[in-house]
Amino acid sequence: MTNPRSLVAALVLVCAVAAPVAAQDRPVAGRVKVSTGSAFIVRNGAQVPAQVGQIVYEADGLRTGGDGKIGITLNDDTRLSLGPNSEFKLEKFTFAPADSAFGLAVRFVKGAATYVSGRIAKLAPDSIKLETPAAIIGVRGTTLAINVLPTE
Amino acid sequence: MKSDRQFRAWLAIAAVSIAAACGPKHVSSPGRPGQDLVVLLPDSDTKTTGAAGVSNPLGSVDLAAERDAARVNPGSAPVLTKLSEAEVQRLFGDALSALPPAPRRFTLFFRFESDELTDQSQALIPEILAAVKEHAVQDVVVIGHTDTMGTQQANYGLGLKRAMMVRNLLISAGLNGSTIEATSVGELDPIVKTPDETPEPRNRRVDIAVR
Repeated sequence: MTNPRSLVAALVLVCAVAAPVAAQDRPVAGRVKVSTGSAFIVRNGAQVPAQVGQIVYEADGLRTGGDGKIGITLNDDTRLSLGPNSEFKLEKFTFAPADSAFGLAVRFVKGAATYVSGRIAKLAPDSIKLETPAAIIGVRGTTLAINVLPTE
Repeated sequence: MKSDRQFRAWLAIAAVSIAAACGPKHVSSPGRPGQDLVVLLPDSDTKTTGAAGVSNPLGSVDLAAERDAARVNPGSAPVLTKLSEAEVQRLFGDALSALPPAPRRFTLFFRFESDELTDQSQALIPEILAAVKEHAVQDVVVIGHTDTMGTQQANYGLGLKRAMMVRNLLISAGLNGSTIEATSVGELDPIVKTPDETPEPRNRRVDIAVR
């Protein structure tokens, strides 16, 4: 059997190599289609202005200021948008029909957002996880509007 | 069932109004600090309304009709309610106006073991070009597919050849090549599931997504 110590060493090595995650190492999820006013992509803790046509990766966040709006289309046709002073995080995106691998997780942090389901909702609805601070949303092929009010 | 839903909806509205009437002045409906609101809207393309469930450890509600909504305060169960169209516009008008247009999908079919389109598919090309022009940002994904005749590796190659052929066709029709991505999944994602080594015209195709 494998020596546990060498297994740990191998894991440490894998983690060390995987640690500095550039956006390009993460799966491409979709593209920015609409961006007006102060609209940002939050990537690895840094906030960059969102440009129309820009690629959105898994684990990116989207955030808007008081005059901002943003809309994105994901590779499975899911669409998401934000009104002003709003934020969500695209925690997971997997769309690989050839491998039957699907997954979508979005955490709505604050403000007003809309979600229009795509092909993942048709092919694997149980792999979708939409979360607000106080609840979990289960979707069955749907257009939704989600509002999260600030806690103060 | 139906009357049960209406009853619950009525209860929810009553609860919210009471909270709004009795609470401090700054607490108005809709919207208390820390409250989440989830609203089901009709699909703007199909004009149909889907369904959703909103739950937390304390309870759950089903949203089944247009503008059905769940209000969730931290530490309490979701409450079913209904928003007016004016409330939807007030709360979500900006977000709704930022939704990108719906993607369009096309499927082109090929002759057996070739990268030649069938006549019907050839005739779809102008419609694809029109769909691309409807989108402000050109973004086209072309995925080649095959049936299960031949090896997986050969079919990956054939799928890619088909995808590249369609990509070139779109470029020669005037689209910008840098925004057309061509890939292949070979025989791995058939429309019609078949055993290996089965000729199936419906699986010899290229899927095009215009986003």
